[in-house]
Amino acid sequence: MIPRTAPAGPAQALADALAAEYAAIWAYGVIGVHLADAARSAARAAEAAHRSRRDALILQLSESGGQVPADRAGYALPYPVTDRASALKLAVEIEERTAGHWRATLPHTTGTDRNRALTALTDCAVRATRWRRTAGVTPITVPFPGRPD
Amino acid sequence: MAHDTAEMVLTCPVATGRTTQRDGAPGHSRRTLLRAGALVALGGAAVPLTGCDLFDRGDDKPPPPDSLEPLAAESAALEGRYRAAIAATPALADRLGAIADTHRAHAEELRKVIGRPAPSGSPAATPTAAAGDPDELLAELRQAEQQGRENAAKACAAAPAERAALLGSIAAARATHLEALK
Repeated sequence: MIPRTAPAGPAQALADALAAEYAAIWAYGVIGVHLADAARSAARAAEAAHRSRRDALILQLSESGGQVPADRAGYALPYPVTDRASALKLAVEIEERTAGHWRATLPHTTGTDRNRALTALTDCAVRATRWRRTAGVTPITVPFPGRPD
Repeated sequence: MAHDTAEMVLTCPVATGRTTQRDGAPGHSRRTLLRAGALVALGGAAVPLTGCDLFDRGDDKPPPPDSLEPLAAESAALEGRYRAAIAATPALADRLGAIADTHRAHAEELRKVIGRPAPSGSPAATPTAAAGDPDELLAELRQAEQQGRENAAKACAAAPAERAALLGSIAAARATHLEALK
């Protein structure tokens, strides 16, 4: 689920990251309903974090005169999400995938933009780690967050 | 060129000193002239010195260290800290082993990017593990990871495009270690 082809330029890299954020927001809607208590709150918080990244990206892309890709009405799930286990699995994958898109923006950015991308990558990686812990997956960390296999 | 300037260095300052002390000559225009000569001599003196320096260091001068060396050394040192912690408190092996492996993987990857073996005589920080007190141990590791995360983020911010993604992953990984140590 991590992007394997490098984006052609800065605008493409940021547009890809935005598409990943759209998908993450949508996925958390599916994930949240299969979780309870603290996990459900964590899903809500994660969704809110992705929304604010989305908004910042839309602003950044429109200010730089780039094309702002539109959200889709729905996304195909890689497997049925029917219970807590599959919801947690998807949550881990969504964060890793989004981390991958943010990582891909790093070579195309400098200064404040790169720092923002690094913060986004880091936040995704930390959330993936938390979801692995919640799911009981070990190890809960990966050596190179966001790097394609 | 070196020959000409060397001659000036030898003659002019000596002449100046003799004139002012022995003769006490009050001639204003002459003194000014001599001072000007001394200045020229001083200016000239720098040239042959610099020239010799360049010539001597010539071919066997080692290339400047890669800016990623400190980060590679830090990855190696962090791995050492975790190995020492596991040795001191084997019960933590499950939790810390993967993180130690990650730091090793980072060191190896950074070494590849640097393209040279680790400089000899750069000792990894001697790891000291507080044996028997897991809480203290974890607190020390958290502190080291926090510092490491900041260093990696700074390196990422300053890196050329082709290194930014790797450094970003290393910074993010260190942040996840902080989470794993909670």
